[in-house]
Amino acid sequence: MLALSLLTAWWAAAPAAAATPTVLLPVPSSPLVTFRIQFATGAVDDPDGRQGLTRLTASMLSQGGTRSYSYEEIVQRLYPMAASVTAYVDKEVTTFVGTTHVDNLDAYLDLFMQVITEPRFDPRDFERIRTNQVNYLANSLRGSNDEELGKQSLGVLLYGGHPYGAPNEGVVSNLETVTLDDVKAQYARCFTRDNVTIGLAGGYPAALVERVTRALQSLPAGRPARRALAAPSPIVDVEVLAVEKDCMATAISIGYPIDVTRSDPDFCALLVANSHLGEHRTFNGRLMTRMREVRGLNYGDYSYIEHFVQDGGSTYPLTNLTRSQQYFSIWIRPVQHQHRHFALRLAIWELDRLVREGMTQEDLDETRTFLKNYSRLWAQDQSRRLGYLMDSRFYGTDDYLATLPAKLDALTLEQVNAAIKRHLQCDRLRVAIVTRGADEFLTALITNQASPMTYDAEGIPEDVIAEDRAIAVYKLNVNRAASKIVEVEEMFK
Amino acid sequence: MNPTPTCLDSETLPTRWVRSTLAAGALLLALAGGATARDIFPFPLTSRVLDNGLTVVLVPFDSPGIVAYYTIVRAGSRNEVEPGKSGFAHFFEHMMFRGTDRYSGPEFGALFRRLGSDPNAYTSDDVTVYHALIGRDGIESVIDAESDRFMNLKYSESDFRQEAKAVLGEYNKNYSDPENKLYEKLRDTAFTTHTYRHTTIGFLDDIRAMPDQYSYSLEFFRHFYTPSNCVVLVVGDFDPERTLQMVKKYYGAWAVPPFEPSIPAEPAQKEPRSAHVDWQNQTLPYVAVAFKIPAFSAKTRDSAALDVLAALLFDETSPLYQALVIQEQKVDELSVYAPFRRDPGLFMVEARVKDQADVAMVRDRIYQTADDASRSTVDAVKLAAVKSNIRYSFAMSLDTARSVAGHLTRYIALTGDPSSINEMYQRYDEVTPDDLKRVAAAYLTRPRSTEVTLSGGAQ
Repeated sequence: MLALSLLTAWWAAAPAAAATPTVLLPVPSSPLVTFRIQFATGAVDDPDGRQGLTRLTASMLSQGGTRSYSYEEIVQRLYPMAASVTAYVDKEVTTFVGTTHVDNLDAYLDLFMQVITEPRFDPRDFERIRTNQVNYLANSLRGSNDEELGKQSLGVLLYGGHPYGAPNEGVVSNLETVTLDDVKAQYARCFTRDNVTIGLAGGYPAALVERVTRALQSLPAGRPARRALAAPSPIVDVEVLAVEKDCMATAISIGYPIDVTRSDPDFCALLVANSHLGEHRTFNGRLMTRMREVRGLNYGDYSYIEHFVQDGGSTYPLTNLTRSQQYFSIWIRPVQHQHRHFALRLAIWELDRLVREGMTQEDLDETRTFLKNYSRLWAQDQSRRLGYLMDSRFYGTDDYLATLPAKLDALTLEQVNAAIKRHLQCDRLRVAIVTRGADEFLTALITNQASPMTYDAEGIPEDVIAEDRAIAVYKLNVNRAASKIVEVEEMFK
Repeated sequence: MNPTPTCLDSETLPTRWVRSTLAAGALLLALAGGATARDIFPFPLTSRVLDNGLTVVLVPFDSPGIVAYYTIVRAGSRNEVEPGKSGFAHFFEHMMFRGTDRYSGPEFGALFRRLGSDPNAYTSDDVTVYHALIGRDGIESVIDAESDRFMNLKYSESDFRQEAKAVLGEYNKNYSDPENKLYEKLRDTAFTTHTYRHTTIGFLDDIRAMPDQYSYSLEFFRHFYTPSNCVVLVVGDFDPERTLQMVKKYYGAWAVPPFEPSIPAEPAQKEPRSAHVDWQNQTLPYVAVAFKIPAFSAKTRDSAALDVLAALLFDETSPLYQALVIQEQKVDELSVYAPFRRDPGLFMVEARVKDQADVAMVRDRIYQTADDASRSTVDAVKLAAVKSNIRYSFAMSLDTARSVAGHLTRYIALTGDPSSINEMYQRYDEVTPDDLKRVAAAYLTRPRSTEVTLSGGAQ
């Protein structure tokens, strides 16, 4: 570890701090200090033919060496602190995140700042990281996780021809031709001192803000020109991407772009409606109740009004995945192949019901009470709390978590149901399906073949049986021309 | 390989093997009342055994307005001794959400919904854990509802059959990942007799047969959901004395006699074992090597030494990782998983290899690394780095009621005694280079080893 005197000299040599935006969450009693250093860059800044380059560049920082230390040395130095630097890359923001104990603050700060401002760009690191990224797409995603494959396929389908239109990891063909010079150029263009926001939380000394600000002044200057984000292409009826794969069960993701973000006045109303339909990883939503609890179709069924990635072992979303365009989605966890058609119909049936009937006052009151309490759990630690504060800054809103309870209290049933009518739809959808026998399934979908539900249990309530009969012939207007089958080996190619 | 506990609705661990230990040294943390100078656990802790045998552990913690409420059942897939019953502990965990006469399943859900809570559960080899984060004001309602389902669970055969399909759905979601199949095969090969032979979710054939096991499920409940086999753990913002009185009030009438399962002992393994899995889809090849290790103990240094050794030999900082992943780049994932278990378990090393031609070489270097550890003395600086990592990992993870409860749950599951967390950290502090050589020589040997390879379809 570097001696403090060396550190001081290094910081002092930096030029005077410019007006770098900061988001601060001091927690004087905390023995931890959290860093979230965020660049306003992401996959939208990947040059044409270089999809995945921003992800690769961020990994070259967080998983590569610095000018002073090889990657091996960085790992060895971070290890006794039980600390790390992790890069999260999404479409529009890239965030480097880490937490240290205050005992190790100086040494950790030195390493963290080196990682961001002095990347080594070692060809050996480049080859390792590039290969890992290719393997993620070609092996892990195509071969090892059908649920994630379904979600990523939905992303491709939702945003064809749009800057959001590829996985953040890119596509294999682009990664195979990308060079270390491309990475260096991307770093110089996008990971700049004029494009960075500092987030700090915890028991840090006041001088830390200035030290970080000064350190980041050694980043390249400038700011990438923002790529124009046109509206995603319009949807005609129900468009299906069926990925053919020899899999045990069928994974389904449904969605469409939505013109609402946290900055929209309707967001809170939609948050309630969505929680009622399918709150992530709870047993509250209609989807979960009707699909898993009543019919045992699968392990879980949820819905979302924002891009959602679960934060590790929690059931809460990662922060700092902010987007200026969002999408609504439904996630149907793998269902047995023989129930895939019924399950898809049932999910859209429930969405249809919500759009047609809206919520009742009782639904609203119950969901509102749940969300007012549940939202207290979304930011139990300082790192997540800081993440939410930074997200509020992105969307130009007040402190989202702090103001949510009052907004929920102020909601009326009319507002919620009007927001449902304005923003939720069940007739124009994009559906990504990972299944075996995709051709047969797509044909069944296009021709609206009946898909009766069968049970191996007795005692299914009569009202469920009756509803099943209606769902089995529920018409989905699948658009033949806009639908296609893709072999899994062709995905993300 | 995926050691994910099997859950009502949860994926609670990263998909890669991680070193299992989050432990600490003694001097780092500010000590609070109830802890002694040698104790690593820094918060006041009260443990009481009620007259019916139920243990109650109360830990006030600075989490304003939030309480973690855990019920730890010291039964898991280890208890599935009958043929054809693999996966039953986990399945039963699902049934615990199906209601009682007082609170039907939907009413139980509605109660927690009003509290803004997310009740859930998970099952692993030795334990089933029911957990919820709740607001401080809801604690009595939760104690009432939780005690009710542990004492008065009631579900129909139809509900039982429906839930069995959700378990099959869980199996289906997990088993698109070849690592799960590798893990299943590794255990099935390494053990011949003990119930650790099967994973927590169970064998697919047994899962398919679950709908017909209604009467067995009642027996399972009667045997293992007893007060003396359970621990109620409360961490967070609450009044300990009032809470203890509430637990006594609501759980006091629970009276089911204890049951001692007869877990078959695994015979000593005398020669190496191996197996192979053909995977129908595209994947890079995998190799996993496992060694038989003793049951967890906080009384001796073996468990601590093996855990330290796992880090030294196979973690990201280890020479083997640096060679295979960073320098030679033959492997893109190398991980170690040596979980503490109540009975003798496995120390498992797994690699995803970039080229099939290198699989044997990677396997041999895993063996060589284990073998070398029995003869060479670990550098004191490296040992100190691991101990420092252990210490800070622990300290940095004590930031929420949920994580504090998680640490305690792990040790309560193993020993039934929350204070074993302090004992264990003392053992970590005491580990010497000679301990590392000794446990490597005793346990990480070829006769105690099992290897499994997996290869997939066309790339």
